[in-house]
Amino acid sequence: MKLSLKSAVAGVAAGLIALSASAAETVKVGVLHSLSGTMAISETSLKDVLLFTFDEINKKGGVLGKMIEPVVVDPASNWPLFAEKASQLLEQDKVSVVFGCWTSVSRKSVLPVFEKDNGLLFYPVQYEGEELSKNIFYTAEAVNQQAIPAVDYMLGEGKKKFYLLGSDYVYPRTTNKILKKYLLMKGIPESDIVEIYTPFGHTDYQTIVAAIKQFSAGGKACVISTLNGDTNVPFFKEFANAGLTSENCPVVSFSISEDEFRGLPAKDLVGHLGCWTYFMSLKTPANKAFVDSFKSWLADPKVTGVNYKVSVDPKNRVTCSPMNLSRMGVYLWKQAVEKAGTFDVDKVREALIGQKFKGPTGEVTMQANHHLINNVFIGETLATGQFKIIKSLGPVAGEPFSDKFLAGK
Amino acid sequence: MSHLSSSGWKLWRQCRRVLFILMAPVLLAQNPNSEAKVRKLLVEAVLEADETRQIGLVRQLSQLPDPLVGTVLLAWRQGGVFLFDGPSGPVPFLLETQNDPQGKARGLQLVDGEALRDEKGTELKFQASDLTAADTTSRLRKAIKTSLDLLALANPDPKMRRDAVLKLGQDQDLEILKPLQERELTETNAEVKRAYVEAISFIELASDDEAIRVAAVERMGALRSLNSLSFLQKLVSDATANPKKYGAATLKAARSALKQVQDHQGWVNTVGTGFRGLSTSAVLLVAALGLAITFGLMGVINMAHGEMMMVGAYTTYLVQNQFRAWFGPSGASFDAHFPVALAVSFLAAAMVGLVLERGVIRFLYKRPLESLLATSGVSLVLQQLFRSIFGAANVQVGSPSWLMGNLAISDVQFAYNRLFVIGFAFFVLLLTYLLLTRTSLGLQIRAVMQNRSMAAALGVRADRVNMMTFAFGSGLAGMAGACLSQLANVGPSLGQSYIVDCFMVVVLGGVGNLVGTVTASLGIGVTDQMLQPWIGAVLGKISVLAAIILFLQWRPSGIFATRSRSLEG
Repeated sequence: MKLSLKSAVAGVAAGLIALSASAAETVKVGVLHSLSGTMAISETSLKDVLLFTFDEINKKGGVLGKMIEPVVVDPASNWPLFAEKASQLLEQDKVSVVFGCWTSVSRKSVLPVFEKDNGLLFYPVQYEGEELSKNIFYTAEAVNQQAIPAVDYMLGEGKKKFYLLGSDYVYPRTTNKILKKYLLMKGIPESDIVEIYTPFGHTDYQTIVAAIKQFSAGGKACVISTLNGDTNVPFFKEFANAGLTSENCPVVSFSISEDEFRGLPAKDLVGHLGCWTYFMSLKTPANKAFVDSFKSWLADPKVTGVNYKVSVDPKNRVTCSPMNLSRMGVYLWKQAVEKAGTFDVDKVREALIGQKFKGPTGEVTMQANHHLINNVFIGETLATGQFKIIKSLGPVAGEPFSDKFLAGK
Repeated sequence: MSHLSSSGWKLWRQCRRVLFILMAPVLLAQNPNSEAKVRKLLVEAVLEADETRQIGLVRQLSQLPDPLVGTVLLAWRQGGVFLFDGPSGPVPFLLETQNDPQGKARGLQLVDGEALRDEKGTELKFQASDLTAADTTSRLRKAIKTSLDLLALANPDPKMRRDAVLKLGQDQDLEILKPLQERELTETNAEVKRAYVEAISFIELASDDEAIRVAAVERMGALRSLNSLSFLQKLVSDATANPKKYGAATLKAARSALKQVQDHQGWVNTVGTGFRGLSTSAVLLVAALGLAITFGLMGVINMAHGEMMMVGAYTTYLVQNQFRAWFGPSGASFDAHFPVALAVSFLAAAMVGLVLERGVIRFLYKRPLESLLATSGVSLVLQQLFRSIFGAANVQVGSPSWLMGNLAISDVQFAYNRLFVIGFAFFVLLLTYLLLTRTSLGLQIRAVMQNRSMAAALGVRADRVNMMTFAFGSGLAGMAGACLSQLANVGPSLGQSYIVDCFMVVVLGGVGNLVGTVTASLGIGVTDQMLQPWIGAVLGKISVLAAIILFLQWRPSGIFATRSRSLEG
């Protein structure tokens, strides 16, 4: 009895020591993605891939010998709540870095918080540019890494008429403004460029599709779509019913990746195009390793300090560009921390510039303008929900400001 | 055992030899050399890794007059050419059109038309859904399409011939002019003849001879061909900018032809807008009719109306999946799922409505504002319930084949699913009208709605009538949901995106009046579609809302004011 009590005390003591040791050897990292509300469908996948990456790094000894301890918060697709949660992460939890945000409006709402508290944010989703904060690193595709290459591809295919169709918010409006300028520079007359917006959740595409039908009657026309989310379903249904196909009028969509594809009718989208810096169908060993280990991790997801359950059957899960960019952001940060030898934001920021990482798509480099040099691909949708890569455009240096990259063209 | 199978193999080889001898005259008549050549070229084209060379091979194939080329190219483009992992690399093959009872078919090798066999010589059978198709890219498919277009000039289906002719014309390739003109002479179908005239005119616009150009332009104008609009516009602007090159006669002819085509386009757009307005109105009417009963007649501010539509839409999804499991993913039996789904979704939503009425609403008839709170609570519960069962993402509901595509009359397109919704709106309206005016239940409903206590005193079981009315209204919403699954997304928030429109229609029409509901949905739908081409979808919606608010300031009780129980208090 006495003996067992002694051993119990010893056990508790040992446990306490282990606990305090582990507490000293972790580094807190914030995850700021909506896990409920309208954006949850997209953003939950990013949280999954981030936790997977933390686990991947922890298994190899962590960052500077410290285990990553994720602090996951849920801003619930509510833009002001993003700012609140960001200051909670920076001021209360004192995280070293935050990975997060999807929509531009959420990024704009947390930006002043990060600048005030001198935090560090990695932003992984394609966006409209025209912004550069010293506290944000944009692993995301800038306009000149997605929209411009896609339009170039269409011009190369002999397209002469462009129908710019988008949901009515900041990303499509800014992107289309830049694209219009670019097309005019390329000698497309203004009368052959149409710019149309529809509200979120719009379902009645009759008028627009009838207009596209007439627009494309003379041939050589294409649609550049920044339509968001499930609005794509009624649009593509109407499009197919009007007898339009990817052959007489192809659609390039910037907001449909493999992950969004899970909720769309594949049949109506076959042959239409996408342009990203990553496709799940990329045949590189690094990509195969990423996809395989992510899938097997999903079957048994574990990560230090987080109770975790995956909501979607791992078999149906896919990887997509924002997920790859999220993961690469974590690795770039890790390398910069190791280079700086500290978690101090100012030193890490300095060390991040010029940091290279060999990811599933090849090597990427973080530039002084906080954007990546990354490889760009054009893909064509298949009935399986995957993209067949039809053109590889090589490395493109991300540039947030349109007047700069348009001047170079 | 091995002895047996080897002797079986020998027997088969002998049989094959006999077969070959028997078929030899047929094969010889078909010129086996040329067929073998065609097949070899087809295999080569499918297996070629370099896209540009592949396209070259496809072009080459279009010059071969073998019917096999068309069959294989079409199958290839539609993902019907499969690859079998043979011992010496991939073997391209097609599936035999005849299935066995398990839905499997023999694989016919492209190289010789023989069935694929395993190493033991037994025929292999495949199911299309288990196979990987030979890949095609957009450029390749386009090349295949041009080849098919050239081949399709001999297609028995006039629609295919017409598309092929037009496609060839749009490239304005003077080299194609001659073959097209030759084929035009043998064409008998009027519509295809028209396409020939259009296509030849497109190509002749690129001619250097002014007389030919002017004649081509005049033909386009006389045909009022919408397809030539952009060619004419370009010609007018080019000829204005560069009068020397094109000449005054071309410009004059082009201007008058352009006017003719544009007048025709104006007419097409007017009729098209009318149709689109009608179809938007039909969607609104179908969606709002159920609410016109539960809110309009019964006075329940039914915020769960949208969720009844959601119940209907998900029921369609389930019925479709069941039919897919029974009859496979296409065919007439599968297509029959939709009428069944309409009926089942009516019943499902009516049942949910019945439970809702018995469980919640019957306690709230005297307190309409509280019915608002209770039903919005119910709507949240239902949404979350469906989210838990089916997941937060949308589910995919396909369309039966008879609802896909469109009917084109003189350049105006009538999509079948839109035509169906218009017809369905009439049907549901008629059903509701007959129920309310020609049945004893309808009489009782009207009696209870007008004066509940008096009706009860006269022996009408008011409680039961309320229950039936609410279930009927919910059932209509369910059918609306089934209908909407053909036009929009099916997800847990389906109801939310229609509830405001529904209330708008019922309130604008005048609460408690079916004629008002019809008028209001027509008004909103047509106005919306008329405004859209002018000011866009966003401003169009805002303008319609503003107009409704102003109208309700002027006539607060809507277009047709009716006295009903809920409004008397």
